[in-house]
Amino acid sequence: MILVILKDIATLCSISGVLAIILVIAHRFLNDYGIVKININGKKDINVKGGNSLLSSLADNKIFIPSACGGRGTCGACKCGITKGGGPLLPTERPLLTKEELITNTRLACQVKVKSDIYINIPENIFNIRKFNSKIVEIIDYTYDIKGVTFKLDAGEKIDFKAGQYIQLITQPYAKMRQSVSRAYSISSKPEEDDRIQLIIRYVPEGICTTWVHQQLKVGDEVSFTGPYGDFFLRDTDADILFVAGGSGKAPIKSILDHLQVVGTQRRMTYFFGARSKKDLYLTEEMKAFESVFEYFRYEPVLSQPKAEDNWDGKTGYVMPFLKETIRDPQNTEAYLCGSPGMIDAVSKALIAAGIAKDKIYFDSFG
Amino acid sequence: MKASPKEIKIMQKMQPGTITLSGFLGNDKRTLNEIIEDDFRLLNALEFTPEEIADRMQYFTDKSWNAFTDEVLIDDIYQVETEVVRGKLPCPFGHVGIYRKAITKFTNTRKNISLSWTSLNIHLIRAHGFFEGKGSSFRLEPAELVNAIFDR
Repeated sequence: MILVILKDIATLCSISGVLAIILVIAHRFLNDYGIVKININGKKDINVKGGNSLLSSLADNKIFIPSACGGRGTCGACKCGITKGGGPLLPTERPLLTKEELITNTRLACQVKVKSDIYINIPENIFNIRKFNSKIVEIIDYTYDIKGVTFKLDAGEKIDFKAGQYIQLITQPYAKMRQSVSRAYSISSKPEEDDRIQLIIRYVPEGICTTWVHQQLKVGDEVSFTGPYGDFFLRDTDADILFVAGGSGKAPIKSILDHLQVVGTQRRMTYFFGARSKKDLYLTEEMKAFESVFEYFRYEPVLSQPKAEDNWDGKTGYVMPFLKETIRDPQNTEAYLCGSPGMIDAVSKALIAAGIAKDKIYFDSFG
Repeated sequence: MKASPKEIKIMQKMQPGTITLSGFLGNDKRTLNEIIEDDFRLLNALEFTPEEIADRMQYFTDKSWNAFTDEVLIDDIYQVETEVVRGKLPCPFGHVGIYRKAITKFTNTRKNISLSWTSLNIHLIRAHGFFEGKGSSFRLEPAELVNAIFDR
């Protein structure tokens, strides 16, 4: 009896084994799409191994489409136009696309599998996004939870970015981390210093990347990042400028001011920096120093809850009440805001109420 | 109870270092479904639904949102502050959308109970009845949460 049972088990195992081998072989042949072509903007062809996502196929060819969720199909950041190929729209894409995007065949690059030739349209500025290898040359403690970290690119490498843009820092495995993640940080240094970038990074409890930066990284460590990304940058006009930032939102504004110091400007500029108390202020002397660099520039830190020991004699409360008195001509004023979405919403409302056109308010809301 | 393949896939996303540094499961030895079912039973006994709890948490987060990072006193009892930092997180269950890294720090001053939750916590409770595993950094004990946010 036992022998019969054992014989049956052995037979079943053999059949299962054979079926598994057939499945593996079938999988290999059925999923072998060979080499397929990706045509970009009708100008450029790249050949890739078929079967991978459009996002990863492009990344393998050093074309980096922004993605906030790492290709999980949840953020909708990696949208691109497809003019031919790409297969049918997937249920995972539909909720992240507008009606107009559905009509124009916009797709999520992370969800589209490149199984045959495909024709895509992507913005030209994406070609400027590259992967850089760098070495940390400086780490500065700006506050108890904010560090400035400078990354020097490999010899001969240069990064071409606009002041205000951001990069995606790529972590290396550490502690319980077994894989890399990418996280976005605004560049705080000027574009003219193109062999290095500085980032201002605030520690976030439980943050994979900020914990890595704050607790693991040291001068001399090698770090990679991709970039530059983003459409938050200074517009080339002669309009008055209002900068408003909070926390690590100071980074892109610092980059813009450092850049303006190099190229020169006659524009009238006011910069409000919101913080809770004095311990949250940083780079104050550097920002104040711009008042003697530019013909008209004012730096106004505003504390919402200064402590008694702060001996604060500057502006208190939120920045909104101070905006209107600063605006000379609302029709000829641009605003550049970087900080939390709550701050951006409140400041935007105040600016619009003061007569500044909505399309003249540029912001980076910690996306 | 053995975890289903789908459950295993979700639990993999909940491991440390995948979406957050310490993950969502803490040192809990139960499967995902066991964690959710146990907490659901607790909620039933407390006569609350996950939606009611998520709505109440969202109420406090929204009220403190406009104060930026400042603390606000709500209904004379609750001290709340919500801090938003750069970046967004996906739902480990694979829900469409990403959730801002907004951390709400909450204190019921009458009962002296302090708790913290994120935007993702509110979604996980509302959509999945998931309060995270025991020992997780953002685990919310249902009884303590109900006691604090409803002042019961």
